[in-house]
Amino acid sequence: MSAIITLSLLAVLLLYLGLFKAKKALLPVSLLGLLAAIVLYSIQWDTDAEPLYSGMVLFDHFAVAFSILSLFITGLVFLLSRDYFDSISEHVAEYYALIIFSLTGALLVVSFHNLAMLFIGIEIMSVALYILVGIRKRDFSSNEAALKYFLMGAFSTGFLLFGITLIYGATGSFDLTEIKNYLIANPHSISPLFYSGILLLIIGLSFKVGAAPFHFWTPDVYEGAPILITTFMSTVVKTAAFAGFLRLFLTCFVPLQDFWAPVLLVITVLTLFIGNISALAQQSFKRMLAYSSISHAGYMLFGILSIGAASAGAIFVYSAAYSIASVVAFAVLILVKRSRGSEHFEAFNGLAAKNPYLAFTLSVAMLSLAGIPLTAGFVGKFMMFSGVLANYHIVLLLLAVLNAAMGIYYYFRVIVAMYFRPADREEVTVNANYKAVLFIGALLTIAIGIFPSLLAGWL
Amino acid sequence: MTQAEAVNTSANYLPILFQLIVAGGFGVGTIIITHLIGPKVKTENKLGSFESGIEVIGNARQPFSIKYFMVAILFVLFDIEVIFMYPWAVNFRQFGLSGLLEMFIFMALLLLGFIYVIKKRALEWD
Repeated sequence: MSAIITLSLLAVLLLYLGLFKAKKALLPVSLLGLLAAIVLYSIQWDTDAEPLYSGMVLFDHFAVAFSILSLFITGLVFLLSRDYFDSISEHVAEYYALIIFSLTGALLVVSFHNLAMLFIGIEIMSVALYILVGIRKRDFSSNEAALKYFLMGAFSTGFLLFGITLIYGATGSFDLTEIKNYLIANPHSISPLFYSGILLLIIGLSFKVGAAPFHFWTPDVYEGAPILITTFMSTVVKTAAFAGFLRLFLTCFVPLQDFWAPVLLVITVLTLFIGNISALAQQSFKRMLAYSSISHAGYMLFGILSIGAASAGAIFVYSAAYSIASVVAFAVLILVKRSRGSEHFEAFNGLAAKNPYLAFTLSVAMLSLAGIPLTAGFVGKFMMFSGVLANYHIVLLLLAVLNAAMGIYYYFRVIVAMYFRPADREEVTVNANYKAVLFIGALLTIAIGIFPSLLAGWL
Repeated sequence: MTQAEAVNTSANYLPILFQLIVAGGFGVGTIIITHLIGPKVKTENKLGSFESGIEVIGNARQPFSIKYFMVAILFVLFDIEVIFMYPWAVNFRQFGLSGLLEMFIFMALLLLGFIYVIKKRALEWD
C-alpha cells in the first residue's frame, strides 16, 4: 500500500513541479518515484499477504508481480517521453501526473480484494486516460479518440457496476473471499442474479481489455491518441485490466466454470479472428498494432479460459513479453514518424540500411509479437497454448495456431519493408534514452526467450 | 417494536406513491388544461422569442465562453467533495481521532488541488 500512496503523492508533486516551472526535474523525479515504488513492492514479496484496510486490497505474489511489471513498463514509457511531450503540449507536468494517476489505478486493479476496489481502480485508471487521449487539444483525431473512449468507457463501466450490484445482491458482499464462500456453501442453489452478474462482469471487463465484440473503440482510440499514450494504454492498462479480470475469476468464479467458459470461448475466438483479419488489411503501422493488440487480448483470454494454477503465470509472462515488444515497436514508430511524418508501412522502407540498430530491435520486437522461438513472445504463447491443451480444447488450439500464422504475415511486413524495400531516406536521429529503451527491450525479449525461468518462476 | 415492523411493509409507502402521483399529476394536468382551455391568439410578435423587449439578433446556438464552463465544473467538483463529509460527520464520534486526521488529510489534498487551480489561473476571467 505504501507504494500506491507514494505514487499518488508523486503525481501531486509532479503537478506542483510543473507549476513552479521545474520542467527539467519532471523526468528524474518521476523515474525516482517509480523506482521507489518498485523497491517498496519488492520488500513486500516475502511477507505473508493479508487483506488490508477492511479487506479492500491484498498484496499477494500475484498483485506484487503484476504491479512491478506495470511500474517497469511505465518507467520505459517515461524514458521515451523525453522531448516527446514537449512537442505536443505545454502542459508537460500534467502528462506525467496523469500517467502516474492512471498507473495508481492500474495498481489498485491488480491488487483488489473487494469489488468496490475493482471499480474504483478501473475508474482511476480510465478517467486519467480519457484526458491523456485527448491531450492534443487542437488535433481532430485526438478529440475524436477521447470522446469515443470516454463514451465507450462510461458505457462499459455501467455494465461492470450492474454486474457487481447483481453479485452483491446474490451474495450480500463485495469481498472476494465472501463471494467464493457463498459459491462453495451453496453449490446447488446459486441465485440467478449471480449468473447475470457474471455475464455483465464479462461484458464490462471485455470492454476494458478490448476483446471482440466489445473492441470497437480500440482501433480509433489507439490511432487517435498520441503514440506514447497508445503505448501506455496497450501495455500497462491492458496488463492491469487482464490481471484484474483473471484475479476476479481465479479467486471467485472457478466453481462456475461450466457456466461462463462457453461465453468466454466465443469471445476469445471472435477476438482472435477479428483482430488478426483486420490487422492483415491495415496500411498504417500504428493501426496494425492496435488490431494486433486486440488479437493479443484474444491470446491472453486463453489464460482465463483454461483457468487454473498455471494461468496467472501464463498471463504474467505473456503480458510481459507483449508489453516489452510493444514498447519497442512504438518507440521505433515515434522515431520514424518524427523523421518521415507518416505511420504507414512505406515509411519503414530501407530503414535497415541507414539505421541497422533500429531495424534490428524492431525486428526482434516483431518476432516476439509473432511468437517466433527464442523470443519472449514464444514463451508466452507456449505457456498459453499448453494451458489450453491441458484442458483438451484441441479445436481452440488449432484456431489459435491458424491465427498465429496470420500474425506472422503482418508482423513480417514491417521487417520486409525495412530490409528488402530500398528507399532514399535520411538517417533517423536516435537520442540516448531511446537507444537505452530499445536495448533493454530487445535484450529482455531475447533473454526471456532463452531463459523463460527468469519470469516464469515468479508466479 | 410493532411500529418498527409496520414501517417496513410496502403498504406503508402507499401515501408516498399517492403524493408522487398527485404532485406529478398536478404539474402535468395544469399544463394540459391551460393548453386546452386557454385562448389562442397568434401574432408574429407573440410567436417570436422574447428577449426582455430587445429585438433578437442572430442565432441562439453560439459557442459561449469556456471560462464559465471552467468555473462551473470546478464548482461542481469541489461541491461533490462535500458529500463525503456528510457520512463522516454522522459517524464523527465513532471514528475518533483517526477519523479526524483522515478528514484533515482529505481536506489537505483538496486544498492542494485548489491551490493548483488558482496557480493555473483557471479562475481568472480574462
